[in-house]
Formats: sequence, C-alpha cells, structure tokens
Amino acid sequence: MIRVIAWNELHRRLRDRSVLIGCLAAPLLMAAVLGLSFAGGASATPVHIGVAGASPQMLTAALHASQLPKNVMVTTLPSQQSVKNGVADGTLDGGVALLPAQVRLHTLLVPIVDPGATHTPGFDVVTKGTSPLGQEYAESVAAGMASVLYAGRVPHTEATEADVAINSQSVGRGGKVNLNFFAPNIAVVFLFIGSGLGMRSLLMERSAGTLARITAAPVRPTQIVLGKLLAIFLTGMATIFVIWAVTTYGFGADWGNLLGVLLMAIGATAAMCGIGVFLTSLAKTEQQAFGITMLVGLFLALVGGNLLPSGSLPDAFQVLALGTPNGWALVGFGRLDQLGEPASSIIGPFIILLVIAVVAGGLAMTRVRKMVEP
Amino acid sequence: MEQTMLRCEGLRKSYGDREAVKGVSFSIAAGECYGLLGPNGAGKTTTISMLCGLTLPDQGEVTVDGFVGGTLEAKAAVGYVPQDLALYPDLSAVENLTFFGQLYGLGGKELQGRIGETLELVGLADRGKDRIGTYSGGMKRRANMAAGLLHRPKLLVLDEPTVGVDPQSRNAILETVGRLGIAVLYTTHYMEEAARLCDRIGIIDDGQLIAEGTAESLISTHGGRDKVHLSCDGSSLTELSAACLELSNVHNVHEHEGSLELTTDHGPAVLSAVVAVATKHGVDLTGVEVRTPNLEDVFLSLTGKELRD
Repeated sequence: MIRVIAWNELHRRLRDRSVLIGCLAAPLLMAAVLGLSFAGGASATPVHIGVAGASPQMLTAALHASQLPKNVMVTTLPSQQSVKNGVADGTLDGGVALLPAQVRLHTLLVPIVDPGATHTPGFDVVTKGTSPLGQEYAESVAAGMASVLYAGRVPHTEATEADVAINSQSVGRGGKVNLNFFAPNIAVVFLFIGSGLGMRSLLMERSAGTLARITAAPVRPTQIVLGKLLAIFLTGMATIFVIWAVTTYGFGADWGNLLGVLLMAIGATAAMCGIGVFLTSLAKTEQQAFGITMLVGLFLALVGGNLLPSGSLPDAFQVLALGTPNGWALVGFGRLDQLGEPASSIIGPFIILLVIAVVAGGLAMTRVRKMVEP
Repeated sequence: MEQTMLRCEGLRKSYGDREAVKGVSFSIAAGECYGLLGPNGAGKTTTISMLCGLTLPDQGEVTVDGFVGGTLEAKAAVGYVPQDLALYPDLSAVENLTFFGQLYGLGGKELQGRIGETLELVGLADRGKDRIGTYSGGMKRRANMAAGLLHRPKLLVLDEPTVGVDPQSRNAILETVGRLGIAVLYTTHYMEEAARLCDRIGIIDDGQLIAEGTAESLISTHGGRDKVHLSCDGSSLTELSAACLELSNVHNVHEHEGSLELTTDHGPAVLSAVVAVATKHGVDLTGVEVRTPNLEDVFLSLTGKELRD
C-alpha cells in the first residue's frame, strides 16, 4: 500500500511536471551553471605557480581540491621570499606562501569565499599585473590549501614544514577550483527545498478532498504518511543523482568514492526529507508550508555552509553548523571530494544524518499522522 | 429478518463549543436506500464523516456490515462519495480509478475489468482516458461516484452528489443510484431527490434526527392537508369563501390577497365541487391550483423553517 501511494504521488508529479522541474530541470540548470562557472575556460599556455610553506601531503591534497587545468605547472619553493623573487623576475606567473603564524581557523575560508580578497589571512598570494591567469591560479591554490587546513585533515604543524620535495608537476583534471565543493552543496539545498515542497502535497490533497477519500479507504494512516515520504525520498535521490551525473560527466567534477557518495546521498536525502517534512507538518496551509520551507531552508543553507562556508561565519555559527544536516552532509561530501578519502571515512557523518532523519522523521510522522487520522 | 448494513447509535460530535451532531441514531438494511434530508449545516456531512471513519464520534457507536466503524473491515465495506470532487484533475478517469481501486486491494485484470464496468455504469466509458480536468461538472460528479462504486461496496455513502450539477447529469446520477441494489445512504437538501430515491428518509436539523420513515408516512404524519388555491374576481371572494366552507371535506378557507386557499383532506376530489360552486355563484375563476403536501411541508411543520433556509 505504501508503494501504491508513493507511485500515485510520483505519477501525479510527473504528470503535472513539478517533479521534472524540481528534480531534473532545476538541478540540471544549476549543475550547468556550476560547471560552466568553475570548470570552463582552460588555456593551453603553460602557467607557472610557485608554492612555499606547504608539506608535500598538504600540497597534493590542496592541488587535488583546486582542480587546476593541466597547463598549470606548480613548483615548490623554500620560502616566501623565493616565491616573491620568482614572480618578480618572471619565472613564475604567480605564487602562494603559507604564513603559519597568521593561520586562524575562522579566517581560513576567506580565500575560498573570496579568492581575490585584498587581505588573505594566513596566505601571501603573490601576483603581477601582467598575468591575470597566474593570479587566478595562485588564488585557487591558496583556496585549496585553506580548504584542506579547514577540513582539519592535515595538522597545522605539518603545514608549516618547508622541507618539501616536490619540484615541479602538472596538475588538475580540467576544472578550475570549487566545482567539487559547490556541487554537493547545491544538491543538499535542493534536497531540502524539494522535500519541504513535496510534503505540501498532503496539504493540497486535504484541501482538494482526495485525502478524505484516501483515508476512507482501508489504509492505515501510517501507510499514507510512509507512502508520501517514500515519494519525497525518491525524488530527492533523483535530484542528487542528476546533479552528480551532470557535474561528473558533463564538467569533470570528482565527488569521490562512489559508494561513499551513494551513502552520503542516502543519508543527506533522508535527513533533509525528515526535517523538510517536519517543518511542513507545522504549517496549516500550502502558503505557510512554502514560507516555512524557504525561510528555514535559507537559514540552514547559510548556517550549514551551503552558501557561505561556515568557517567564514562567527564561531557560534560554526558550532551551529554541526547541528544542521547541511553541515554534516558537507563534512561527508568534503571528505570524499576534497580529500579523496574512502567510503569508510563518511560512516560518522552518515550515521549522524540517519539519526537526524529518524528523529525529524519521527516527529514529522507524529504530526502528519494527525492530518490523516480520524 | 433483513441484514442490517449500517447501524449508528447515539452519535455525537462537537467542534469547540458547537455541537454539530446531537445523538443521531438510525440504521440501514441491506439493499435499502436511506435518505438523510436536511438543510446545509444540519449535520449531514459530520454524520457521514463518522460513519466512514473520517472523524471519531465523541459518543456513540457505528457498525458497518457487522464491523465496528472506522476499522479497515468497515472501511472496505463502504463506498464513500464525498460532496466535493475528490479526484486528481491531472489524471484520467482510468488512472484515478486505478489508484483508488488499488487502495481497496484490487489489481490486475480484475481491477481493469471493474474500471470498465464502473465507467459504463456511470456513462463515462468513452471518456475514461481523458483527464478529469477536461470533464464537465456533471461528468466529474459521475466520475466521483465511480470511484466510490469501483470496489463494489456493500454500503454506498453519497454526500450531496447532485449539488451544482446540470439536470441531465443529475438524472443520470439518480438513475445510477436507483438501480444499484445495494444499501445506500444518500444525503441531500433536495426533497424531490429524497422522495424519488429513498425507501426511508431521516430528517435532520440542527444535529438532530427529528423524524424518520417513508416519504408517504412522513407526509401523512407531518405534512398537513392538501391546499386548493383559487384566484378569482375580488368582488366575489367573500361569497365564494362562504360557499366553499360548506362543502364536505373542506376544513378551512383562508382569504389572502385576491385568492382563496382551501384546506382539505384530498384536493383533487373537492376540485370539481369547488368549480361547480363557483359557477353556481357566477364567479369567474382565473386560476386553480391543487397542492398536495410534500417533504418541504414536513420540514416546515417540524422545524418551523424552510428546508433550504
């Protein structure tokens, strides 16, 4: 019976095209915008970037995160001064020096959020006006290092070591910088909005009278609610799949380990559905549901780091981020795509998302059941 | 003894301070069509909601086909046709019926067969694949009824199924209900429909069932006597009034705005005598109308107000 109710929901949403817009068109559009923004415009001319102050481990992770085009040559240098010298004499098109004494957790994400910031705490981005590409790629490397440091996977002490062995390497897979970072972010936002709007269907059915007809049938209230939830979950999974497929195959993004991505997609979808449905259950009308979904969705996106990395927000918000499903979804996805870690690394975030899903879903079930119970 | 398909006993339901249903009790036998007649707001829909398991009564009991009301078994025995169109406008009639049939455990060829039969029954067989949103108001109502009939319920509950429907579709709906042969609970505020369809009628007002019986018994008990209205030359009214009062079976004559109203046990029977009296007295009758009491009069008699107030 749950399957029947879920299929009816999907069937109707396919027929009125709302599911096509929400799960296919909008994610496709967003994925395309992201892809074109972050992965296009590669140049064949070699661009030389110098880096100082980063360990080989950290630099490898940072370059992986940066996804620089293949024509970018990265050279490790012993000091901040040697980077400046290289840029000054034209050997380098741009350079980055990590300044360990100035590295602070809450400022690390400035390079990610605003790569061209005049003041980039913790980093000295050295450029010259004649090479805009050199400046852009140097900022990208700085952003990559900042994201690696922020993720906390490389201790700060290692990051300050200067005895690097990497000499010169060609890096990147054709992307610019942050496609890997933003693609899951946007997917999570879509999940939340989609689940909240999906549950509006129950309110619409109540006002249309079809809910009364369904509840008059020999169907348990729990089956009705679970059927609706299943439909919302499936549309959520479709949304994240579309964004993953388009950004991966269309623009070369790397979300990381496939099993890990699948687990994170399931966990994030379940958690976002749970919260979205719970919030919708607080509404009495479709309009209220829409307003609540948008308001809370925007709040969670901000606090959870979907729009602005939480590191760029005050400390209190960084703590709050770990109370949001968005925050945990991004921790999991970040381990996979930014750090290239295996599926086992996201077990923690995955379990936390499932707990959020169970708690929020349970609360939602309690409230939504009242809508369908006599 | 006839099997009781629906029995409700002492149903009460309040919404806040307002008591919508105040101890309603009635029963419907298998194959019987029972009409619940009352004005808007009388408590018909609330009563139906309790019978169908959509609302829990504050007090009282419901039994459907021997099962406690609201249980899955009781719900499976009921075909519910709500007052509002309760179908998905973006889906076709066949798709709607497929979904609602599946909710009642139907599937496969059995379901497809039932859908065809039911659409045929309500006269929509040739429009089954069209979206409900493209139907006329009357067709939507018939499709609405089809969804309640699809699983062959033992009790069909129709909540004002003809409100806002064109005469042709209304007739089609009434004809369909009339030939079902199953127990039917039919709520309406159209007395003609109740009189035409229902074996028994319960009159409900202000949440209370105030009378119950066949249309004939209700009318004979509560409807009052026939009325004969005579319109004639005003100068002759007084003379004619006195003459009519002397006729046998005429109990009262009331003069009002240039016409006379005679109260009698049987209007058609006294009509020829009235015409003869008028001719004898040289009165030129300009209009004659015999009006037998109906359920409207019953309602007026019982409540002191019009049925459609």
